[in-house]
Amino acid sequence: MNSGITSIKLVLLGEAAVGKSSIVLRFVSNDFTENKEPTIGAAFLTQRVNIGEQTVKFEIWDTAGQERFASLAPMYYRNAQAALVVYDITKPQSFIKARHWVKELHEQASKGIIIALVGNKVDIVSSGGERKVAREEAEKLAEEEGLLFFETSAKTGENVNEVFLGIGEKIPLGRPDEQSGLQNGGVRITDDQRIDLASTGSGAVAASGCNC
Amino acid sequence: MLSPERRPSVAERRPHFLSFSSQNGCPLVVPHLAGIEDPLPESTPDKVDVLIVGTGMVESVLAAALSWQGSNVLHIDKNDHYGDTSATMTVDQTKKWVKEVNDGKFSNCYTNAKLYVSAIIGSGDRGFSSRDFGLDLAPKILFAKSDLLSILVKSRVHQYLEFQSLSSFHTYENDSFEKLTNTKQEIFTNQNLPLMTKRNLMKFIKFVLNWEEQPDVWESYAERPICEMLIEKFKLERPQVFELMFSIGLCYNMSAKTPEVLQRIRRYLSSFDVYGPFAVLYSKYGGPGELSQGFCRSAAVGGATYKLNESLASFDPSTKTATFEDGSKVTVSEKLVISPTQAPKYSQNIPEQKYEIHRLTCVVGKSCEEWFSEGESAAVVVFPPGSLKSGNQNVVQAFILGPGSEVCPQETSVWYLSTTEQGPRAEMDLDAALEAMETSIVRESSSDLENDESIVQFGPNGETMINSVKLGQSFKEYIPRERLQFLLKLYYTQYTSTPPFSVVDPSFFDINDENSKKLITGASDNGVLYTAMPSAEISYDEVVTAAKLLYEKIVGSDDDFFDLDFGDDDDVPIHNANYENAIEDDDDDEDNDVDMNFDVNRQGTTELVGEMEI
Ligand SMILES: Nc1nc2c(ncn2[C@@H]2O[C@H](COP(=O)(O)OP(=O)(O)OP(=O)(O)O)[C@@H](O)[C@H]2O)c(=O)[nH]1
Ligand SMILES: [Mg+2]
Repeated sequence: MNSGITSIKLVLLGEAAVGKSSIVLRFVSNDFTENKEPTIGAAFLTQRVNIGEQTVKFEIWDTAGQERFASLAPMYYRNAQAALVVYDITKPQSFIKARHWVKELHEQASKGIIIALVGNKVDIVSSGGERKVAREEAEKLAEEEGLLFFETSAKTGENVNEVFLGIGEKIPLGRPDEQSGLQNGGVRITDDQRIDLASTGSGAVAASGCNC
Repeated sequence: MLSPERRPSVAERRPHFLSFSSQNGCPLVVPHLAGIEDPLPESTPDKVDVLIVGTGMVESVLAAALSWQGSNVLHIDKNDHYGDTSATMTVDQTKKWVKEVNDGKFSNCYTNAKLYVSAIIGSGDRGFSSRDFGLDLAPKILFAKSDLLSILVKSRVHQYLEFQSLSSFHTYENDSFEKLTNTKQEIFTNQNLPLMTKRNLMKFIKFVLNWEEQPDVWESYAERPICEMLIEKFKLERPQVFELMFSIGLCYNMSAKTPEVLQRIRRYLSSFDVYGPFAVLYSKYGGPGELSQGFCRSAAVGGATYKLNESLASFDPSTKTATFEDGSKVTVSEKLVISPTQAPKYSQNIPEQKYEIHRLTCVVGKSCEEWFSEGESAAVVVFPPGSLKSGNQNVVQAFILGPGSEVCPQETSVWYLSTTEQGPRAEMDLDAALEAMETSIVRESSSDLENDESIVQFGPNGETMINSVKLGQSFKEYIPRERLQFLLKLYYTQYTSTPPFSVVDPSFFDINDENSKKLITGASDNGVLYTAMPSAEISYDEVVTAAKLLYEKIVGSDDDFFDLDFGDDDDVPIHNANYENAIEDDDDDEDNDVDMNFDVNRQGTTELVGEMEI
């Protein structure tokens, strides 16, 4: 009852066609919380996960293709608490690109961002295809840069949930200062003075303690 | 070739994943998981419906509207960042921009940029970094009841953004900052207002909420300045007249005509209490630059292709081919839309930008909470005509953002000053307003801050002194007096085709229509549509109007402009609050009087509940 909901903004990065969107689809279409309906807007996908007492709500931002010509906006990284840097274990080039994105995140994103390095498409190797990025190489990068590391298959679902659970576990949950809005009778004020434009009415702001 | 009738929209003419339900004006249903199932093409398309050049507010709203309608949009910007004329820039980006202005790279959309940056910024160890700041080229505030706000909610772009309230409006008079009596019952409880004045003010507010239906009251003043009506008809005194005209109405000078001012006063009052006891919001991390990014992302989700660092070289209207500076080409089957700042070389069709807006942006070493309402991080200060030492005839408007807005670090704030005064007087007015603000904040706050010592200059002739130079005699006039530390000062003149008080005129977009004008030989921009530069207006009010006009020009009708249905349960509430329920009491906030004395939002009923219980 008292366990709050923590929202985590998570961004996806990685070369084209490595399976970023597939990983998200696998994750949000999976039935592992009571809230199984993923919400889709033009904005982002959300998925709730229960981790112990806590409910973690992932707000997942896909690149929408803007990274293709190096045109991601600062807004994309802003306040992201977590990032998935995805590569395809059968495409060495995509691993080089992953290194680039890790560097970019360290430069552009908030300091405490939790980054998971994700080698996708392991099913190809399991079914006899050729692996082109050694697990050790990726582990080394993860070690050096302080990243979580997973090898996944969006196709079979292998390890996909583990990626998100792993991130959820590393995020400091239920900080009381983030809960104030929700405890105030469900008024949708997330933090400090933020106003939700979709909910009109002066009640919304009274909760912010704005006393003007 | 084009019928004067509504032309079928791109969506109707071409099978597309969005168009399956869009017969007979049903809203487009965005399919579940839209935008993430299609693998995207590897290279820029070689054929698009619409090419948009420049990622300013209007262009970005247009790109999103077209993409969701089913048009295939390529949206480029010559800069390495989003925003163009609406950009929110770091200090380094600002430096680069200033240099480009002074090199004449913006086709006279901007001139005379002067930038002074303290060496504290970018100095690493003790200082601030360039990225700690987000400076808007055309700062804007958002009225709670406005067309842009509805579009933000409808398109769900608001989910990308964070908004904060701004309830603190000050009118500068007699050397002091009078706080606007706009919040809650301040109008009625204000000790300084005589009872008679309060009554008259109430009478006026009641009238203005549906002034259009009462022509008998204002018709005889239609062509006259509104102050005459306020004084003669409503018996208001000068301070109230000034507040109504300049703080609430955000007018530029005394000659503002009655209907346009009534419109602007109502804009404020009807925005009041939509989200709370304030009329205005602004976006965190930067203004129009953030909103542009939000709309661009929305457009990308809707299928638009984005490419920064790409400039247009020319357009050939006969083959409908656009050529870029890097030599690549794209066929544009519908329209090419360009921001005047990104016009190609050898352009000859850029609309005339007749009106000057003079801007002065400062970053100061004080957070200026003194000017903000409790719990807020922003304020607006207006300097009415005649209130400044310079004898200003036009208003100077100042928009102040503190660290809570996340556009500047702790212990600093950003001041945006602007005026519609034309010519050399403008800068004198800006300086006078700055001086008044400086004096006031130094007086109001007591903490000591050391003087800034080193300054980097970017002069109007393009010279850049990259290394710190000591603040020399030649810059004496910019030596901060007293103890207010200036981290950055930027003067520039912006030009616009939109006169004060106006939004862009529909005929503006006919200027360069290939059907209505013969082509100029040798011009690289025949047959393109230019967008308008931002006007002097401090609100976003012109943006949707301009984007809609362009949309209509391209699609043939604006019927399905952002006619979106995301087809999920999480339906966006209709932006029309039920004010009875709006004020859900929340326990420990008892003193936060939630009874509004006048319910300005109930348009139809002008009944003013619970009057003046003083
Ligand atoms: N075998 C296999 N194929 C996969 C896997 N994940 C994704 N794919 C395939 O890889 C292709 C690209 O997947 P997407 O999810 O669209 O990749 P993306 O990274 O989102 O690509 P862009 O959005 O275009 O940048 C699709 O054909 C997927 O079916 C996986 O784990 N195994
Ligand atoms: Mg994808």
